Amino acid sequence: MREDFLVIRDLKKSFGTGEARQEVLRGMNFSVKKGEFCVLLGPSGSGKSTLLNIIGGIDTPDSGFVSINGDKLKDMDEKQLTIYRRKHLGYVFQMYNLIPNLNVKENIEVGAYLSDNPLNVEEVLTTLGLQEHKYKYPNQLSGGQQQRVSIGRAVVKNPDILMCDEPTGALDYKTSKEILSLIEECNKKYGNTVIMVTHNEAIKNMSDHIIKLRDGVVRKDELNENKITAAELDW
Amino acid sequence: MRNPLIKRIPKELKSDWHKYIVIIIFMVMMIGVISGMYVGHDSMLDSIYKGRDELNLEDGSFEVKNKATDAFITDMSTGKMADVREYYIQKGINEAKEQGIDLPYDVVAEQVDKEWNKVVERYDLDNKDFAPAEIKIYENFYHDESEDFDKDGIEDATVRVFSSDSKIDMASFNEGRAPEKEDEIAIDRMHADNVGVKVGDTIKVGGEEFKVVGLLSYVNYLTLHKSNTDLMFDAFGFDVAMVTPEAFEGLKTRVHYSYAYKYVDTPADKAEKKTYAENLLKALITQTLVYDNEIDDYTPEYLRQGSNFAPSDIEKDSAGSAILCYILIAVIAFIFAITISNTIDKEASVIGTLRASGYSKKELVVHYMTMPVIVTIIGAIIGNALGYTVFKDIAVGLYYNSYSMPNCRVVFSEDAVVKTTVIPLILMFVINLIVIVKKLQLSPLKFLRHDLAKKKHSKARRLPNWSFIRRFRLRILFQNMPNYVVLAFGVIFIELMLCFAFGLPDSLYHYEKKAPDMMFSDYQYVLMNTKDDEGKLIKTAEKTAEKFSSKELLYPKEKTELFAGMGSGGDEGVTVYGIIPDSRYISFDKKLNEGEVYVSVSFKAKFGLKEGEKITLHEEYENKSYEFTIAGTIDYEGGIAVFMKNEDFNKIFDKKEDEFSGYFSDNEITDIEEKYIAAIITSEEVTKVTNQLEHSMGGAMNVFKYALIVMTAALIYLLAKIIIERNEQAISMAKILGFRNGEIGGLYILPTAIVVVICSLIGFGVGYYIMVWIFKLFMLSMDGYFAFYMSVPSMGLSILYLLIGYAFVSVIDFIRIKHIPMDVALKNVD
Repeated sequence: MREDFLVIRDLKKSFGTGEARQEVLRGMNFSVKKGEFCVLLGPSGSGKSTLLNIIGGIDTPDSGFVSINGDKLKDMDEKQLTIYRRKHLGYVFQMYNLIPNLNVKENIEVGAYLSDNPLNVEEVLTTLGLQEHKYKYPNQLSGGQQQRVSIGRAVVKNPDILMCDEPTGALDYKTSKEILSLIEECNKKYGNTVIMVTHNEAIKNMSDHIIKLRDGVVRKDELNENKITAAELDW
Repeated sequence: MRNPLIKRIPKELKSDWHKYIVIIIFMVMMIGVISGMYVGHDSMLDSIYKGRDELNLEDGSFEVKNKATDAFITDMSTGKMADVREYYIQKGINEAKEQGIDLPYDVVAEQVDKEWNKVVERYDLDNKDFAPAEIKIYENFYHDESEDFDKDGIEDATVRVFSSDSKIDMASFNEGRAPEKEDEIAIDRMHADNVGVKVGDTIKVGGEEFKVVGLLSYVNYLTLHKSNTDLMFDAFGFDVAMVTPEAFEGLKTRVHYSYAYKYVDTPADKAEKKTYAENLLKALITQTLVYDNEIDDYTPEYLRQGSNFAPSDIEKDSAGSAILCYILIAVIAFIFAITISNTIDKEASVIGTLRASGYSKKELVVHYMTMPVIVTIIGAIIGNALGYTVFKDIAVGLYYNSYSMPNCRVVFSEDAVVKTTVIPLILMFVINLIVIVKKLQLSPLKFLRHDLAKKKHSKARRLPNWSFIRRFRLRILFQNMPNYVVLAFGVIFIELMLCFAFGLPDSLYHYEKKAPDMMFSDYQYVLMNTKDDEGKLIKTAEKTAEKFSSKELLYPKEKTELFAGMGSGGDEGVTVYGIIPDSRYISFDKKLNEGEVYVSVSFKAKFGLKEGEKITLHEEYENKSYEFTIAGTIDYEGGIAVFMKNEDFNKIFDKKEDEFSGYFSDNEITDIEEKYIAAIITSEEVTKVTNQLEHSMGGAMNVFKYALIVMTAALIYLLAKIIIERNEQAISMAKILGFRNGEIGGLYILPTAIVVVICSLIGFGVGYYIMVWIFKLFMLSMDGYFAFYMSVPSMGLSILYLLIGYAFVSVIDFIRIKHIPMDVALKNVD
């Protein structure tokens, strides 16, 4: 039995004050094992992105804690958090946020630079099918291609956790499936723990672990016994 | 692995090359000019000071009527006083002997002593502190010949001709060579330049034709002062030249037996130089007497205008332009900071992602700091390179325009490096660092959410019920407020420089025009002594002549840090006048008590003095100071002066009742022998200084004005570019919505135009007053005073020039708006 890698305990977070105060996370508990493909599922306002931001160390909870491999984020100062993100996390956002005046290869190098043991950039380019586009600039690429670059930038660090915030939110069906396949492939090939936030119910089927959120609490926390591949997904 | 973000830098330089070119050109020009100025300044001074050794500059010189005998030279070299009393006794005995009378020594001695005591007193011959100053004497004879450079038979100038074999006060050659044949001559470069004589030309000197084979600069004639008492040099009417010894022998006018000397023991400082010179004068007076000769001139080198005027003037050179440079660099730094701040806004998501991925704040600060630092370094390198070459030559050219300088050898100027490279780099670094660090202070999440405003407007600003377009325009104005603030600073800066460019010539012209009114008498005759050779008071029959007493004292100056290192750093020279009762030239409107004085308006304005205030003036070399109370002001702008009753003057300065310094007069005085006159001051003398300044700087000012139009355009271009770039998406969206280019131009260009017009008016006011202040500070570091002045047309033009610059930018802006594609609005929308 693998040990829990990521542990979330009694996580609470609210925004605003007084009457405008809104509790986004209301005591959240769950844990994820190393190498797991975990999907955080829930409708808008369920607290998915806030949770992801707290796990990523770019937002702080009001109470409770997040621990990764036994280290609690709340005990870390800003510098340690930066090192934590640098060493352990890879981020993929709905918007690709690529650097416009760097080409594809260079954008991936931006991720590689941060890591002590980065993957081979060329290999990542090949894995992501970007070899023929590696000297193109982001504005010469389609949305799907840009998202591949964004995945490449995150994966090349060889992070412990790959955080994906609605990575297919801005993509069409076909491209979305391609991107999901790539994330799946990276998960298998490099053994990263994947935490993917989505509101697309269908995606849960390709995960190992499904956590359903609603109104700031975990409604369902289950392991997926009938895991299928991304290629088999349909919605 | 190197940070891959570095790869963005060359790409950014390439993609936004026009912006960076403008900034770099800007910096290169400013840094280049300032560096050139300092390098030129330091090199010129270095050449002058090195020349003093290499060309064996004298420690002083004296001229006697008859050629000095060897014995005279030998005795004079000892620096000892001759025994004049004994000389007179022997002379008396001998004269009596010639008449067949044999007078006993004691009788003659008694007779001599009667007169002798007067002489002792007059020349202070029994001063116990007298110490002989041993000297080495060199012959440095000359002829003052007529010069006819256009060979029309009319004398054009006086030329002082020296022989080429002189071993002291030698010349360096700017062009050509020393004369080798009897019909060859080398003349002063500055004079040749002024009158249009070139190497190879033939000129007439003393009626004989000479071929000009060289243009030179004598180490003791860096400025062409014919007489040491001339207030201003005259490079048109006076010349110095060198001929071969043979040609020198052939010159017909009388030989001036001038002897230059060097002290055997070099005096340590100016005070010691003065003591040496005073002691040597006593030796000269007595030795000349016992050798039956006469002194025609005696000038210690430290008082020689010809060798000291130019270097002290160069030392006073302005640091004002360095301050302007720093202001400009600060403005550029702000432009950079705003540009980067906008880039950070634009790249918020990327920054958020990078920070979320583990990039540290420091890495991003370094990244965004790289560009301004690189651009400053490029600017500083090219600027300095140009400074040491092209601009140095311009600066040196300005000095060559005024003085007879030796050839300039470039020296490394630490000042230039600090002021043109270190300070701009620090300025650029600090300003950008503050802005960028502040900007990147936000959390990664805020960047990801584009939540970059520190303060959120709780309410949208409500606008009056104007037309939609007007309200839209106003919104744009509000939105770009920070940019407009920088624009306002830029405009104030440019107006400041325009005030300088227009105001300086205006001030000079104004001073010159007012000069005749500034003189309280049309002529001021300063006499060498109160009494003539026979011991009688020097008088004149001129009816308007009025005696005055005067004395030079010093007023302590506060050392201002702003202009540190400039000027002599010494105290202000003040002329103290003693005025006779019921003077027709100076009237005191109240009764003055002892110790009460009037001050000139310039004195009052320069040091912000008030009536009733006490001032302390002190002697330059003696440890004496005098305290006065200001009782009133005399409307005299010609100099820093203090006026008091003659009676008080004599009392305070321990003068005899009949002692005086000279005459004020409304008409020329013709009945005083020239040899008794030390200087004649007329309005022409006062304006010679401004004329010279105008001659040296007039052309440069015009170039400066046009350069300012370009700078205005460049500065506004950079700022307007930021405004348009910031609104690219909105402009693109407006196009999609169907707004025409003209309408969009009206929306985005008009607010800038309004801001520019308002700023130029305010900027002019602010710039004008800053200039008045800077000018006053600047004047504090100089001797003398004249106020900053700007004529009304100049004021108008200084605003118009700025608007002309802006008009060019508007056209570019409109073209820029026209070229914004519609798909900008459709891309990158989160």
